[in-house]
Amino acid sequence: MSLENFTGGRYPLLKNCFDELVATDGSARPPASAIARFIAKHGDLELCKRQLQLNQTISDMGVCFTLYADGANIDRAWPLDVIPRTIPSSEWQRTSAGLKQRLAALNLFIDDLYNEQKILKQGIVPAELILDSKNFLAPCQGVSPIHGVWANICGTDLVRDEHGQFLVLEDNLRVPSGVSYMLENRTVMKRVFPELFADSTIVPVDDYPAQLWQMLASLSPRGEHVPPCIVVLTPGIYNSAYFEHSFLAQQMGVELAENHDLFVEDDRVWLKTLRGKRQVDVIYRRIDDIFIDPQAFRPDSVLGIPGLIAVWRKGLVAIANAPGSGVADDKVIYSFVPKIIQYYLGEEPLLQNVETYLCQDPLQRSFVLANLDKLVVKPANESGGYGILIGPRASQSERDEMAMAIKANPRNFIAQPTLNLSTAPTLCEGMLEPRHLDLRPFILQGADLYCSTGGLSRVALTRGSLVVNSSQGGGSKDTWIINDEG
Amino acid sequence: MLARSVENIFWLGRYLERLDDTARLVNATSHLLIDSHKDTEFGWPVLLEVMGQDSAKVLASYGLEHQNRQQLAQIEQAVMQHLISNIDSPVSIRNACSQLRYNARTIRQLLPRDMWEELNKLDSFVQQQCVETVSRQQRYQLMTEISRRCQMVIGTLDSVMLRGDAFDLFTIGRHLERADMVTRIMDVMVLQTLQPTQLKRPRFRWISILNALGGAESYQYYIANNLAGAAADAIDYLLCYADFPRSVSYCLHRIAASGKALPNSPAILQQVHQLQHLITEQAVTELSTVQLHQLIDQIQTGIIDLHQVLVDIATAEQQPLTA
Repeated sequence: MSLENFTGGRYPLLKNCFDELVATDGSARPPASAIARFIAKHGDLELCKRQLQLNQTISDMGVCFTLYADGANIDRAWPLDVIPRTIPSSEWQRTSAGLKQRLAALNLFIDDLYNEQKILKQGIVPAELILDSKNFLAPCQGVSPIHGVWANICGTDLVRDEHGQFLVLEDNLRVPSGVSYMLENRTVMKRVFPELFADSTIVPVDDYPAQLWQMLASLSPRGEHVPPCIVVLTPGIYNSAYFEHSFLAQQMGVELAENHDLFVEDDRVWLKTLRGKRQVDVIYRRIDDIFIDPQAFRPDSVLGIPGLIAVWRKGLVAIANAPGSGVADDKVIYSFVPKIIQYYLGEEPLLQNVETYLCQDPLQRSFVLANLDKLVVKPANESGGYGILIGPRASQSERDEMAMAIKANPRNFIAQPTLNLSTAPTLCEGMLEPRHLDLRPFILQGADLYCSTGGLSRVALTRGSLVVNSSQGGGSKDTWIINDEG
Repeated sequence: MLARSVENIFWLGRYLERLDDTARLVNATSHLLIDSHKDTEFGWPVLLEVMGQDSAKVLASYGLEHQNRQQLAQIEQAVMQHLISNIDSPVSIRNACSQLRYNARTIRQLLPRDMWEELNKLDSFVQQQCVETVSRQQRYQLMTEISRRCQMVIGTLDSVMLRGDAFDLFTIGRHLERADMVTRIMDVMVLQTLQPTQLKRPRFRWISILNALGGAESYQYYIANNLAGAAADAIDYLLCYADFPRSVSYCLHRIAASGKALPNSPAILQQVHQLQHLITEQAVTELSTVQLHQLIDQIQTGIIDLHQVLVDIATAEQQPLTA
C-alpha cells in the first residue's frame, strides 16, 4: 500500500503550518501510516459511518460537558473527531521529560515564594510581580506541604510551531480539567476502530486514575500505614466540569463530596457518611482556592468548608492542589519560567516558551501597542480562552479597546506573536480538512513525578480558527503515542 | 457512602421500578380494554387513578370530559400521553426516566461504569421514542422494549455492583416501589369494581392484572396446586404469596433482608414487621370488601412511613465511624 499520497492527494495542507499526520510532500508521517492505510482501503464514506458510530457511543457512554449558556440542558455531548492525532513515542519521551522538569521547578518556586523568597531577594523574579499579585495568598505563607509540592496536578498547554517544535503555551496549576475526556476518548476509539488498535502499537493511557490515586495517597498526613481517606471536592452537579469530577471519583473508587459533606471539628476534617463521620486525609479540590474556606479567603463563599485552611496549615489534611498554587499560574510569571528552571534545578529548559512581551515593561509595552494587528494579547489571569485578542483577526475597534485596557492596567496583559498552530486532518462535512489543534498533557507530582501518555488534543472545528476551547465550539481528538522504538 | 447519597440511591431503585411497572401496566390494560365488552365499567381513566392522579382533573387539562362516551379515542390518547410522553406529567415514563438519570448523575461515583452506560441508553431511548404520536400498535413494542431495557440496567447492576449499603438501599427502593404499585393496582382496579356492600367477595381472577405483574402463569400454578386452600384468589396471591416476586409479602421479605445490614436497622425492621403483621394477622380470604379496602389503605400508609424511616437513616447524628 502506497502512503505517498494521504487521502489520494486531496488533503489541502496549509502553508506554513506543521501537520501532525501529513508531511509537506503529502505523504503520511510514519506514526500515521496505519490511519493512512485505513483511509486508502475504506474511503471517506466509511469514515463518516464511523463518525456516526462514534457519536452514538459517546451518547451511550454519557460522555458530556456542561455549558452554562445552555440553561436547563445541563449535559451536552462531548465532541470527538474520528481521526486521531499521532505522536512518535521517542518524541513524547523527550516532551514528557521537559514537562516534569517544568513542574518540579515550578513547585520549588511556589514553595520558595511562600517561605524564604530567595528568588525574589536575588532579583531573578521582580518581587513586586509576586507581592502585588492577587494570586499570592497571605494565609499560605510559612506553610510547606508534604514533599514541598504545591501544584500536584498540572495541565500544561502545548502547541507546535511551524517547524514542528512543541512550545509551552501556558501552565495550568489551579484546577486543570480535561483528563477524563482524554481517557474516555480512548475508550470510544477502541470500540470504533478495533482494527487500528490491532495494527499499530498505541501506548495505553488508562493508568492515569491509578497514578492519580497513588499520588494523592502519597500526600496523606497519616502516612502510608493508615489507609487514606481521599475525596474529590466538587462545587456540585451544575458545574461545567461535574462530569469529570464524578468520573475521576468513580475511577479512583473514592467519594465525590460537596462542601456540606465535609466539616471541621477538633482540628480534623470529617466526611459525613451513612455510617458516621470519617476522617479525611486528602482533598482533591475542584473548586478555586479562594472559595475553599470562607474563614480564610472570600467570606461570601457558599462553596467552602469553614476552618479548612487552619487544619491544612497544621499539616493535618492535604489539599491538592495546595491553596496558593495559582501564584505561579499567571501569564506574566510564565515568561520567567525558563529562568526559574535554571535557578532551582541548574538545568536548561527542555521545552521552550512562546516568545512573550510583558506590557508592564515600558519598552515592550510600546512595541505591543504598535503591533496590535500582529500579536495575540492575553489577560494574565483568565482561563478558558476568555478575554483574548487575536490581533490579525480583530477589528480596529476591538484593538482600540484592548489598547485602552493595556494602558489602564499594564500588569494584567501579555502579548505573543500569532503562532501558526499545527494542524491535523479533521472530518468536516464528509471531507478531511486541516484544523488547528493544541495538546494538554497532565503531570502529577507527589512523592514521584508522572506524566500522562500524550494528553487531551483539542481542535478548533471552524476553518482557520485558533480557539480550541470546548466552551467556545472546540472539539477533541484521541492522542496516540505510537511506539517507534521497537 | 455519603450520608447525602442515601436518598439518591434509594430513589434510583424506586424510579427504575416505577418505569418498568408503568410500562407493564400500560400494556396489560391495553389488552384488557381491547378484549372487554362495551358495557364494561372499566375505562382508560382508571389508569390515571392507579397512578394516584385525579382523572377528571387530568382529562380536563387535556380539554376532555371524564364521562363523555363520544370522546373515547381522545381520552385514550390523553391518558397515554399523560402516562408515557408528557414530560410535565409527574407520572409519565419520560418524567420517571429523567428523574432516574438525574439521581444516577448525582451519585455516579457509586455506580459501576456498565450500569451508567445502560442507564444512558435507556434514557436516550425513552426521550427519543416516547412521543405523542405513538400508535396503539407501536405502543406495545415500545412498552416491552422499555421493560426490557430496565431489566438490562438491573441485570448489569446485579452482576457487577459491590454488595454494600448502596446496593441494599437500591434493592429496598425497588421493592418498596413494587409493593406500592401492586397495592395501588389492587386498590383501584380490583376493589373499585366489587360491590362495596358485599360481605364475602366473589372469587375472581383478573388475568390482565396478573399479566401486568408478569404473574398469570404462576397464579395458575398456585391455584392448580391448591397452595392456599380453596378460598384463595388473586388478592391473597398478590398480598400474601411470598414465592411470587411481585407480591407484597415477597417485597417486604426482600426489604427486611436488605435492611438488616444497614445502620439503624431496628427501626427499619420494626416498620417492616408491622406491615407483615397487617397481612398475616387474619386470613385475607375472610375479609369483606370494605375491610380489604381498609387493609390496603393501612399498607399504603405503612409504605410511606417505611420510606421516611429509610430516608432518615442518613440524618442521624454523625458519630465516629467504627470499622
